[in-house]
Amino acid sequence: MQSVFNIIFSPDFFYDVLRVTTPILFATLAATVASRSGIFNIALEGIMLIAALVGVIFSAYFSSAWLGLLFALISGGLVGLFLGFLVLKLKTDAILAGIAINLMAAGGTIFLLYIISGDRGVSSSIKSLVLPKFPLPVIKNIPIIGTILSMQNILTYVVLLSVIVIHILLYKTPLGLKIRAVGENPNAAESVGINVHKIQYIAVTISGILAAFGGAFLSMGYLSMFSNGMTAGRGFIGLAADAMGGSTPIGALLVSLLFGIADSMGNVIQTGIKIPYEIVQMLPYITTIVGLAIFSYSKKKQIEKLKSK
Amino acid sequence: MKRLLSILMIVVLIFSLVACGEKGGEVGENGEKPLKIALLLNGTLGDKSFFDSSNRGLEMAKEKFGDKIEFKPVEMTTDETKWKPTLYDYCDDGSWDVIIAGTWQMVEPLEEVAPKYPDQKFILFDDTMNYDGGAFPNVYSILFKQNEVSFLAGALAARITTSEDMEKVNPADKIIGFLGGTENTTIDDFLIGYIEGAKYIEEDIKVVISFVGNFYDTPKGKDLALAQYQQNGVDIGFNVAGLAGLGQIDAAVDVDKYAIGVDSDQAVIMGEPKANYIPASALKNVDNAILRAVSLELEGKLEYGKNESLGIKEGGVAISDNEYYQKIVPQTIRDEIAELSDKIENGEIKVDTAFGKTPQEIQDIKDSVR
Repeated sequence: MQSVFNIIFSPDFFYDVLRVTTPILFATLAATVASRSGIFNIALEGIMLIAALVGVIFSAYFSSAWLGLLFALISGGLVGLFLGFLVLKLKTDAILAGIAINLMAAGGTIFLLYIISGDRGVSSSIKSLVLPKFPLPVIKNIPIIGTILSMQNILTYVVLLSVIVIHILLYKTPLGLKIRAVGENPNAAESVGINVHKIQYIAVTISGILAAFGGAFLSMGYLSMFSNGMTAGRGFIGLAADAMGGSTPIGALLVSLLFGIADSMGNVIQTGIKIPYEIVQMLPYITTIVGLAIFSYSKKKQIEKLKSK
Repeated sequence: MKRLLSILMIVVLIFSLVACGEKGGEVGENGEKPLKIALLLNGTLGDKSFFDSSNRGLEMAKEKFGDKIEFKPVEMTTDETKWKPTLYDYCDDGSWDVIIAGTWQMVEPLEEVAPKYPDQKFILFDDTMNYDGGAFPNVYSILFKQNEVSFLAGALAARITTSEDMEKVNPADKIIGFLGGTENTTIDDFLIGYIEGAKYIEEDIKVVISFVGNFYDTPKGKDLALAQYQQNGVDIGFNVAGLAGLGQIDAAVDVDKYAIGVDSDQAVIMGEPKANYIPASALKNVDNAILRAVSLELEGKLEYGKNESLGIKEGGVAISDNEYYQKIVPQTIRDEIAELSDKIENGEIKVDTAFGKTPQEIQDIKDSVR
């Protein structure tokens, strides 16, 4: 018990939290951008899975982790665009289109992996590369913060930067204003001359690219290989975290961190405290549900307050 | 014109029906009728593990017996809704002498289907049926004594973590790891053998136990393994978590520790450089077991309505012996493991099992190495 507390309050623990949080935060930001434009991108899970495999394949093909990442991002953007095409042009229900993409990704990645490597489980026979870990110049010398922040995978820094970038994009740029306007009320947006579909295409592509970052991180940073079904629900957690964070980048960061802390804590508690592991594994989800309940309750209060005025 | 077309259609239909009927008759007329075996896989081939191994067993049988057998692997995929219908289809077909299926997930479909086709013979591997009161007289099941091979894995892990001559270990603390998928009797059987083997070598050993909660979340498997290696001082872990367990190997590479593989030779699966971190794997030789069952079936000696447990003695389980085992593990330890293997084989050591134990008893065993 004592040792569990020592572990949880150590800088190493928070280093792990950042690693665990990274893919979830990418997925959450992806959900944020899409839902702000009025499209519920349930295909995140599938996009992450596709990008994870594409990254592995191309990093091995070009012997370059960077080109692997680039192609992973392109694949994510294309799938995002494809979702946009299904929803905007062909008028499919976004949920159904998303489910279709997820199913296609689950089967398609195995199929592709089999064609390329002859395996259906893991990509261990493909000599794929991993994105580097980096020491942060000045920060690495600061005692506790240095241990937590320095030597993380490059994509962990990218995701933290993305929070700021997406925040600026949504609230400080004309494009962000248009995205929010389209999401809020497409008819009103159209009436002032915004090309609604174009904005939604852009948003859903950005969303796909962000999710692809998360997928590439899983197979080229977190792990050094692709394994069948490795996203294991992280895309869906991203959707929940987005709803809980009120579809804002800062909210996404906070909720994802909360989830990451709960998840890492579960990993440590399992080995140290005598409670059934099934209960420990519920921890991140319980945290999410409780958080969601608190959030919607406070929102309800807010609305009531506004109405009474 | 329309009428002509419809007549044509009817003719075609009748012909195709007749053709089907004839085909069915032909098989029976053959003088030397081969033993027809359908291998129904609740997954796909190419898993480099169980399913490939069961298919290899039949290939080995085909090589050995030639025309006497005929087999067909059927990939039912992981979509559970397909399993029962496929099982029914192959039973209804009636031309298959033996239907083979495996893993704990196929027990429930078999429980439903097998009694409805009393003349159809089934072989189930890696789990057993409830044969109480003469139930399932048409099912032969094969269990692997994973507890025996885990005993060896545990003994190996305990020796390695206290070894003075190995580079990746801290001999001062006696802590080893175990990463399971979900907690079920088979996984507990692995765990109990592992604990017993480790305690046989080091009475006061500690085993850090984690469960992923599924068999596919590889990143989570890595997180748990990293927590064991870095925060609990584990030098060597044993993964029994399918694809998720491969995360442990990734973690071992990252922090320069050891991992023991499971089911198939994971050093071969992962390849260089990761294989250098995998001193051994606890193998379940599904191929041997299937070959053995088919041989017995051809001789008419396979006893349906019964379960057989294949251990080290029957070649059902073993510790992998490959170049990495030779390279990583010192000679003295390898000799000792071989000796322990002999002792289990001749019954000198009887390894405890999770089958027939209450959850409380299993919990007590786990708590004894906390």
